[in-house]
Amino acid sequence: MKLARIKAITRKEFIQIRRDPMSLAMAFLLPLILLFIYGYAVTFDVDRITTVVYDMDKSSLSRELINEFTQSGYFTVVSSINRYEDIDPYLDSNKAKVAIVIPHDFSKRVRTRRDTAIEIILDGANSNTANIAQGYIAAIAQRYSQRMSSGPVVPLIDSRSRVWYNTELKSRNFIIPGLIAVIMTVIIALLTSLTIAKEWDRGTMEQLISTPIKPVELVIGKLVPYFVIGFADTVFVILMSTELFGVPLRGSVSLLLILSSIFLFGGLSMGILISIVGRNQAAASQMAMLSSFLPAFLLSGFIFSISNMPGPLQIITYFVPARYFVTILKGIFLKGSSLKYLIWEAVLLTIYGTAVFLLAVKKFKKRID
Amino acid sequence: MVNNEIAVQVSNLRRTFGAFVAVDGISLTVKKGEIFGFLGPNGAGKSTTIRMLCGLLMPTGGSGTVGEFDIIREPEAIKKIIGYMSQKFSLYDDLTVEENINFFGGIYNVPEEQRKKRKEWVLDMARITERRTSLTSVLASGFKQRLALGCAILHEPPIIFLDEPTSGVDPISRRSFWRLIREMADAGTTVFVTTHYMDEADYCDKLALIYRGKIIAEGTPTELRREHMKYDVLELETDKVVEAMETLSKHHIEAAIFGSTLHITVEKAEEDMEKLAALLRESGIELKRCEKIAPSLEDVFVTLIEAS
Amino acid sequence: MFERIKHIVIKEFIQLFRDKRSVFFLFVTPVIQLMLFGYVATFDVNSISTAFYDLDTSSESRELERQLTSSGYFAVRYRPSSPLEITDLIERGKALCAIQVNSGFSKDLKRGIPTQIQVIIDGTDSNTAMIAMGYVNTIIARYARENSVSPVTPVISTIDFRTRVWYNPDLRSRNYMVPGVVALIIMLTCLIVTSMSVVRERETGTMEQLMVTPIKPMELMLGKTIPSAVIGLFDMSFITFVGVFWFNVPIKGELYFLVLCTAIYLVPVLGIGLFISTISKTPQQAMMASFFFFQPAILLSGFVTPIENMPRIFQYITYANPLRYFLVILRGIFLKGAGIDVLWPQMATLFTIGVVVLVLSALRFTKRLR
Repeated sequence: MKLARIKAITRKEFIQIRRDPMSLAMAFLLPLILLFIYGYAVTFDVDRITTVVYDMDKSSLSRELINEFTQSGYFTVVSSINRYEDIDPYLDSNKAKVAIVIPHDFSKRVRTRRDTAIEIILDGANSNTANIAQGYIAAIAQRYSQRMSSGPVVPLIDSRSRVWYNTELKSRNFIIPGLIAVIMTVIIALLTSLTIAKEWDRGTMEQLISTPIKPVELVIGKLVPYFVIGFADTVFVILMSTELFGVPLRGSVSLLLILSSIFLFGGLSMGILISIVGRNQAAASQMAMLSSFLPAFLLSGFIFSISNMPGPLQIITYFVPARYFVTILKGIFLKGSSLKYLIWEAVLLTIYGTAVFLLAVKKFKKRID
Repeated sequence: MVNNEIAVQVSNLRRTFGAFVAVDGISLTVKKGEIFGFLGPNGAGKSTTIRMLCGLLMPTGGSGTVGEFDIIREPEAIKKIIGYMSQKFSLYDDLTVEENINFFGGIYNVPEEQRKKRKEWVLDMARITERRTSLTSVLASGFKQRLALGCAILHEPPIIFLDEPTSGVDPISRRSFWRLIREMADAGTTVFVTTHYMDEADYCDKLALIYRGKIIAEGTPTELRREHMKYDVLELETDKVVEAMETLSKHHIEAAIFGSTLHITVEKAEEDMEKLAALLRESGIELKRCEKIAPSLEDVFVTLIEAS
Repeated sequence: MFERIKHIVIKEFIQLFRDKRSVFFLFVTPVIQLMLFGYVATFDVNSISTAFYDLDTSSESRELERQLTSSGYFAVRYRPSSPLEITDLIERGKALCAIQVNSGFSKDLKRGIPTQIQVIIDGTDSNTAMIAMGYVNTIIARYARENSVSPVTPVISTIDFRTRVWYNPDLRSRNYMVPGVVALIIMLTCLIVTSMSVVRERETGTMEQLMVTPIKPMELMLGKTIPSAVIGLFDMSFITFVGVFWFNVPIKGELYFLVLCTAIYLVPVLGIGLFISTISKTPQQAMMASFFFFQPAILLSGFVTPIENMPRIFQYITYANPLRYFLVILRGIFLKGAGIDVLWPQMATLFTIGVVVLVLSALRFTKRLR
């Protein structure tokens, strides 16, 4: 292995990257845009749920109940209706997601300490919102019940809940660390998946394989510049996350950077492998899109929890490197985890990176057929 | 022949692509310091052959050596001692002239002390010293061609393979290019060239004519012409070239169109001249001119193809 | 004119189907995406890994545990023997929730004395955490109600909140996601097919060749976009078929209406594909640009998270996103059986946006050809 040849390739790649400012800008712009959107727009925090109220009682008690809902901040009453049939159009046209129906004898029964029932109708189309709304309603119900029973009442069972790591339950803190894995996976794939296929298309690869260059020299030579960019990108994204979005970084920064580097190494090698296997740019780009974005987005545990997936899919996630990186990111950012807790993931990522690198070297044939 | 005088030797080389036979049992020998020309029309198998010799393609049959290395078992060793210029002059368009030279200098592992000297030599040879910081994409084809050649020989290889190095290049550049090749050969480099320009054949020391994957003739330009001296070539000039050709072919006389003239191979020029003129006059075709000419290699080639 | 368009379309199809890899992309990828989204994309919370730290070990505490498990929401996988173990389990991510019942629980309960239960939830996944907390509180409250015997702490007037869920009574995320996947896949496929086909011709030089023929720019454009449109419609049918028969997603609306709306959706999508082809010189740039557009388009469409929950500024941005309207249409048709009477605003907006985008892209495309 000759250092001179590796250096020649690396220098050439750097020059070419420099001369393609659009791709370079994209490599930094895309993460920024994604961070913004995921950080601000994509939120699972559910509030201001549109509600219609059908109050058949119209008493001070029923108004108090409705108040309980609006004061929580979770529900916004958009309209009061006077017929049961009017609920339909509201839910149908998406104008409201919840309807509250209060029976006409509500306050009478409450005052005479008899059981009464309130009907709540939920638009289940978005099951997640419905689920969360149900949780809110249950909490509000309990609170109201307590207030209505005379005298200071301590509930028989007081469940004290404490939330660890993400105490305000901000979905942003939940989303962004995992998002870093998705962003880096995609950027890496976009950058490297075409680099070798491009040379085949242009004809320079034919020239290159007629020289004494060895496959391992070529792969390393192409890895280095993209690693530099990828690492800079990673640092950039981490900085944005902590400074701009206020995501807490409780663990060790150097551990984060080291493990990120290992992940980068694997991802870049995979990109180069794709570029080798897909002999032209069109094929390589399709392969990259399929094998990078989809698994990273869906199967890494980034948004959709792995434990909820059917068995066979869970097994597949073991083969998705982004999965381990997401665990690492969430661990270091939110839990302040040390290497002790992440050793399994670190080892697997290292094995993955090495395996893909060796595969890429092996697959690169210095031949035209 | 003593072994260390031979640069390239190939025996019964074959290459198929599925059902298509691109190279059909080629054998040839190239001596050191020789300019060997591989002539043939497009699709004859020239590029395929050269790629096999350079270790870029694996033969499906036959054997060969380049230098002392076997083309099947030691392709990587071959790549160390050759320079290859591919058909598309594959330089990096988004690199400058100088950056391309630096790159290939590193790839060929030219020793540090020599790198600068070789770079200046290439720049000078290609006459682009003032353009060293230009992007390769803006160069005219003649300059690109010479730059590509220069990049392929930075490491001073003893054997170089050039695949259609003059295609798409203007005639003046073409001629000066061949002068360059001649200089290199005189200095001891073996040059293996493919081309479809018949007029370049005379620049070569030895030729092989390839057609449909087979070699149909081999020898020096003079030998090939002499071989054909058995026959004479008549050049006919007429207004109705196509009709004349059709008329002649009805009488089983093969003629080839050369511009606005017809070339016909005949046994005895003086006798056949009259006969042909009469034949054509019968069909109402007047000959403006009819004379014997020296057979060009193209004539030779065309005849040989028709014979095969 | 139709002759020329026809021939371009035929050529495109030949090119698409001859390349094995692109066939894979066109037909296999949508299936994979559908399967993945259908099975993975769910926020339904079940069997949350729980650690139950029982210091009372009475029949009452066991009954509480049983109620937690039988709800289906919690799966007690760990019975730690110390608070330290709880910490370790949560830190390692092995348990999402830990419940601690102190000794004296059953005694207090029988005497009607208020008692405490500790619940610890891993907030890393805030969505699951929130839902889990809601479930825990509900179950514990119900348990409390059932077990209050003594009049010391009377639970006076029980207000029973009955919830009924319309449209998706099992609250399956899948029913919400799968229709959305149709929109997703059509956009992804059509963008790439359209932009790549144009850029590839430009790169190989055949575009130049085409331009010296009598062909008009409009014909070329139609020739390039019609194959994408056909493939888009095919993908839509295919995904709907699989979604309904494999995933049991209900489809309450009319099929012909679905086809009509898909056709309207194709107008802006193809326009964007054309636009991308005009700003990309190489396939790499086309891919990056497609992705650049595709990602925000999905996120800001209501596909994964509802638009109502986004900050105002982003909500405004979504008004320009064709995907937003098509999602409402899709979910309306599949889940609510909505027809043109309800959905005409979305259809009109979609069509208008589509025409504007297509015209602008066409103009740009034509200009670049000269």
